[in-house]
Amino acid sequence: MRKSSLFALGLIPALLLAVTADAHKLRTSGVSVAVADSGVRVTPTRDWNRLDVKPGKKAETWTLDGTQLNDVTFYGGIEPGNPLVKERSKKREPLPKFTAATLVVEVPELLESTYRAYKGLAAFTVESTAPAKFLGQDGVRFTYFFTDDDQLTRKGEARAAIIKGSLYMVTFDAPRLHYFDHSIADFRALADSAKLN
Amino acid sequence: MKLFCRRVIAALLLCAVSGIAHAQEKTAVRQGFELKRNSQKKILVFRPAVSVGAQSTGGMFEPNADWTEKSKANIRIALEKFQRQLGNEIVIAPEAYGEDARKVEEYMALFSAISQAVIEYQFFIGNRLPTKKMDNKAGIFDWSLGAGVADLPGAKDANYALFIYNRDAYGSTGRKVLQVLALLGPGIAVQSGEHRGYAGLIDLKTGDLLWLNADSQIGGDVREPDGSEKRVRQLLEDFPGSAIEKEAAK
Repeated sequence: MRKSSLFALGLIPALLLAVTADAHKLRTSGVSVAVADSGVRVTPTRDWNRLDVKPGKKAETWTLDGTQLNDVTFYGGIEPGNPLVKERSKKREPLPKFTAATLVVEVPELLESTYRAYKGLAAFTVESTAPAKFLGQDGVRFTYFFTDDDQLTRKGEARAAIIKGSLYMVTFDAPRLHYFDHSIADFRALADSAKLN
Repeated sequence: MKLFCRRVIAALLLCAVSGIAHAQEKTAVRQGFELKRNSQKKILVFRPAVSVGAQSTGGMFEPNADWTEKSKANIRIALEKFQRQLGNEIVIAPEAYGEDARKVEEYMALFSAISQAVIEYQFFIGNRLPTKKMDNKAGIFDWSLGAGVADLPGAKDANYALFIYNRDAYGSTGRKVLQVLALLGPGIAVQSGEHRGYAGLIDLKTGDLLWLNADSQIGGDVREPDGSEKRVRQLLEDFPGSAIEKEAAK
């Protein structure tokens, strides 16, 4: 059986979960730290948890209570020709790619098509898009809603910028009931603190 | 020899994984919360969420309407039996329609997501989030559905709400065959079937989760009346102030 088939069946992740004891790391309030194996550094204003499992080579997930309830994902310099997250199977489940022709205003659409394919979503709506600075550069800030297969509608907010041809982005997803409003200020403080070396 | 070693490691891993599942915590109470029997507090009981289906060879959930309807009826009967023994006054949530029904459904989905997060990131010792580890040391169990629960139908007539969520996926023949082949061949441990049962008591003013019993491999075949009784008993036997006897003590 091929490794990719095992992943598709959810076998290896189940085993990894069992053996990655104490793998998540504390991200302490006030301490500057590099994220997503990139030149991006953030300084959180409260304690967060960095998950051990990375969604992609240049992506990293932080949470307060678990990814079901609050999920911050950093994308640190996605180069043209690459998807935002690791493809489960390049052949059977290809993901949309960031390309050299992608404009920053098209990033919300890239996130939407990635979520639709990766999470198998039926419902995803971009609620608003506006120009905004990110990492000191001109970028975009957008909000969105989607309903996962757990029947829970989640709200999201993201900031993105294309710098020297690579995509930098940070997203925050949380259930629209209670959790989004409860932690959006913490996310915004985190996104505001992001700097590119 | 190499193959033999691999199979032995796989078997040990399977034992270790199931051992972790058994050793794991299943219930928790919010710090400072206490509910005594006959305390004059009212508990609003919402209709339990029940979905039953098969687990395909690839591990996907395939809903079965017939099993789900049968299980819903069985669980309703079992709950009617046990809710009288919860130790405090029970208020049955009014039948909800339209927007109210949608709201109840979304809060039930949120309760399920919180229960899964508690299991995955606070109860599961090997996967605990660092901040939850610190909470555990301080005896803190801090989870909430938010103050919006005060708008749920029937909330004004009670102090607390009882949410019950069940999701059962019975391993298909293909899944069971895969389980055996994966262990004997590449030496991979595959789980066949998934039986999630969560029961939670929620403060109807703050939305705080006061008590939770969450098990991702709970017992009782909900498709059968006896199994549903076992399920509801397991979900409620540790309920604060309850007079429900544990099955082992019977």
